[in-house]
Amino acid sequence: MGPGGEQSRGGRPPKGLLEARGVEVEIAGTQILRGADLDLGDGELVAIVGPNGAGKSTLVRAVSGLQRPNAGNVRWSGRELSDMRGRDLARVRAFVPQRMPVPAGVTVREAVTIGRSSHLKPLSRLTGADREGVERAMERAGVARFAERSLTTLSGGELQRVQIGIGLAQEAPVLIADEPTSQLDLGATVGVAGLLRSLVGEGLAVLLVVHDLSLAAAIADRVVVVSEGRTVASGEATAVLSHERLAEVWGADARLTEHEGRTALHVAWVGP
Amino acid sequence: MIGRLSVPMGRKLAALFAATLVLVALTLPAVAQAAPPKRIVALTPFAANTLAKLGVKPVAIGETLGGSERFSPKLKGVPVLPLAHPNGPNLEQLAALDPDLVFSSRTWAKGNQAMGSLGIDVVLNDPQSINGALADTFKIGTIVGRKHYARDLLQGMRVQIEAASKGIESRPKVMLILGVGRTPFTFLPNSWGGSVVSKAGGRLLTGGVSSSSGFERISDEVVVAENPDVIIAVPHANEDDIPSLTEYLRANPAWSSTSAARNGRVYVSVDNSLLQAGTDIARTIRKVRRSYLKN
Amino acid sequence: MARRTAVYATLLAALAAATVASLAFGAVQVPIGDVIDILFGGGGTATQQQIVETLRLPRTVEALVVGAALGIAGAILQGALGNPLASPDVIGVTGGAGFGAILIIILFPGSIALLPVGALFFGLLAAAMVFVFAWSGRNRGSTGKVILAGIAMLSLFTAGTTGLLAAYPERAPSAIFFIAGGLTSSGWEEIKTIWPYFAVGFLIALMLIRPLDRLALGDDVAASLGSRPQLIRLGAGVAAALLAAASAAIAGLLGFLGLVVPHVVRMAGGTSSHTFVVPASALGGAALLVAGDTLARTLRAPIEMPVGPFMVLLGVPLFLWLLRKAV
Repeated sequence: MGPGGEQSRGGRPPKGLLEARGVEVEIAGTQILRGADLDLGDGELVAIVGPNGAGKSTLVRAVSGLQRPNAGNVRWSGRELSDMRGRDLARVRAFVPQRMPVPAGVTVREAVTIGRSSHLKPLSRLTGADREGVERAMERAGVARFAERSLTTLSGGELQRVQIGIGLAQEAPVLIADEPTSQLDLGATVGVAGLLRSLVGEGLAVLLVVHDLSLAAAIADRVVVVSEGRTVASGEATAVLSHERLAEVWGADARLTEHEGRTALHVAWVGP
Repeated sequence: MIGRLSVPMGRKLAALFAATLVLVALTLPAVAQAAPPKRIVALTPFAANTLAKLGVKPVAIGETLGGSERFSPKLKGVPVLPLAHPNGPNLEQLAALDPDLVFSSRTWAKGNQAMGSLGIDVVLNDPQSINGALADTFKIGTIVGRKHYARDLLQGMRVQIEAASKGIESRPKVMLILGVGRTPFTFLPNSWGGSVVSKAGGRLLTGGVSSSSGFERISDEVVVAENPDVIIAVPHANEDDIPSLTEYLRANPAWSSTSAARNGRVYVSVDNSLLQAGTDIARTIRKVRRSYLKN
Repeated sequence: MARRTAVYATLLAALAAATVASLAFGAVQVPIGDVIDILFGGGGTATQQQIVETLRLPRTVEALVVGAALGIAGAILQGALGNPLASPDVIGVTGGAGFGAILIIILFPGSIALLPVGALFFGLLAAAMVFVFAWSGRNRGSTGKVILAGIAMLSLFTAGTTGLLAAYPERAPSAIFFIAGGLTSSGWEEIKTIWPYFAVGFLIALMLIRPLDRLALGDDVAASLGSRPQLIRLGAGVAAALLAAASAAIAGLLGFLGLVVPHVVRMAGGTSSHTFVVPASALGGAALLVAGDTLARTLRAPIEMPVGPFMVLLGVPLFLWLLRKAV
């Protein structure tokens, strides 16, 4: 059972920040998404799961405006995505990629400040308010204590937090993260998971692509399953990630359990 | 008695016969060498025109691609070998002509080396002064076996040159520059053009520089300070380019304060007569005096 | 921050010193007092005035503008292509400009006045062809495609240039000056014709400073922040092409500046932030070219040598020293 109030549980998602219907995306001649739906409401953490190549990343990139859909429609708080320009989108959502290139000679503070630049007019300078915004973002992401360190000296977990901090500097109501924990070790994953949950606690809406099903079950208010370019299920974790569905979509004999706040995926790795 | 008489006689005859043979054998190569080369190729216009003046017709002459040399009318009908870097002539074409001797220049250093390894005799002529040109004329004449003719020719040339440089009324300061554009690459006295202009009575503007190559790029500041009376440019261009080039050079703001610019005495010489040695030296001197130096 | 300020201060001091030297020294001795008189009053003899006002002053200004332009061009290209080896040569400008200039010198010597125009036109044409090829098909506008297209164009135009030189060997010496790179003292003529290209290039570069910082964090983060990565790369390419082509039109082919100055500046300042690197590269490039040009025309006065080797002489030891100190 994921944490969160009554409204965020179960079948009917709250009306809200994001509404995407029938999204289709074709890349280089291959149909990746064949009609996927997605909703995101205020203050909820939605995890998108599915096998490799199902189209999870493509879906979040499409709704974020990073990948143009060939069909379907996407609305952010009622506004059509196609009507929104880059700056408008930057105010509405922050996209955190799985791994960003790590430029040399850039400190954490400088990187998070760049995240703030969506608030700045082309040639204007940073104001005091902007500088405070950068501090705030670094605090929330838990990276303020190494603000002056160069990005190239950070560990994977630290870098992922900085990436989240860059996203937070945009001060948008929605944070979209594409597999933020896939390359991290257990400890770092725990850290990022806690961070994301605390951000939701502060009122942020988070859309997350994850591989790890037990992680998804643990932190998400709602889980969306993507398979072969379509969204096949949406709802509470243990309900959606049933034994039948795990077999049907992932082709694995597995069972998701929750006990005393810990989730686990029990898998028959080498057959019965 | 007859038998004994014929033996000593026979031996003497044999010895005489052998001696004659040896003598002939020894002198034959020398005789052969003394004969002048028959098949001559002249790769430079200077060598070609000099040969023409000496009454010798080469089997082929050279002309650079895109070049427009002035050849003596006596050379009409002589096949032309196109010359290109770095070898000069196409070596196969040259070898096919089976030349005894090639007159070349240092420009085709690589080709000269190759010709040498093909067993072809190569003689270099790169005269950078009037005296050098005269000396080379004599040298060419000697090599082709027209030494006496060459001596007379030289005498005539010297007389003509002295006549052409007689009665010089003024010695204007001259900047003689090479190439296109506004960068002054000046001819120094040890260059062909410098030598000719000096003989014609010009005082070359050098900025006090000397160089073994005969050319140097000198600063416009020095040009302004030395204030030449005449500026002559020798670009590689065509006749019809002269007006626009002259205009371009006259309008160069860097030289606008010089006497030459203010009096409109900026000239462009497009033919090669100042760039490389020619055989009509007196004529060139007269032209320089008449058209450019006005002395 | 303190480090950046120190670097700026050093660059400004170097620039000031080089500019003063450029105006005060030359093949002809003009006492400093007279130079000041001439510049600010109306003093000095006619010859001195000609030397300072028509020869040294425009040349110094040209060196400042071209040095700054090439420094900026290199900095924004390295940022936009995310490649430390990027420079204006890579987008084909140098090859095209060289070809355009040689074409005029060798085939149309009568129209020598059009040399800057020829260099500018072909420089921009080469860059345009690079962009067209790099923006077609899959992976449009990706760094790899731009660099490969640039190499192809460079080879094409270099072959054309070599062909012309081989076909007209006696006209080659005039061409060598251009290829070796160097400024000429020809008054304000060329700047008067070419300045708009510099102006537009500088302006676009200025507007690209923040977007380039965003691009440094990756295409996705840049898109998240509302930028369009392909447009940034295209804009950087256009600005760099304008600046480099205009520079080549005036000063021949000077490749070293655009490649090395941004790196020197990055290592000295300890940061890759474009808000620092772009202006600092402008100052550094200007200082280097003015200093190199002054040396080139005073060291063996009155002989003028090409400026390229002197820039290398000044820049490379500094570059290597910083490289050793850099982590």
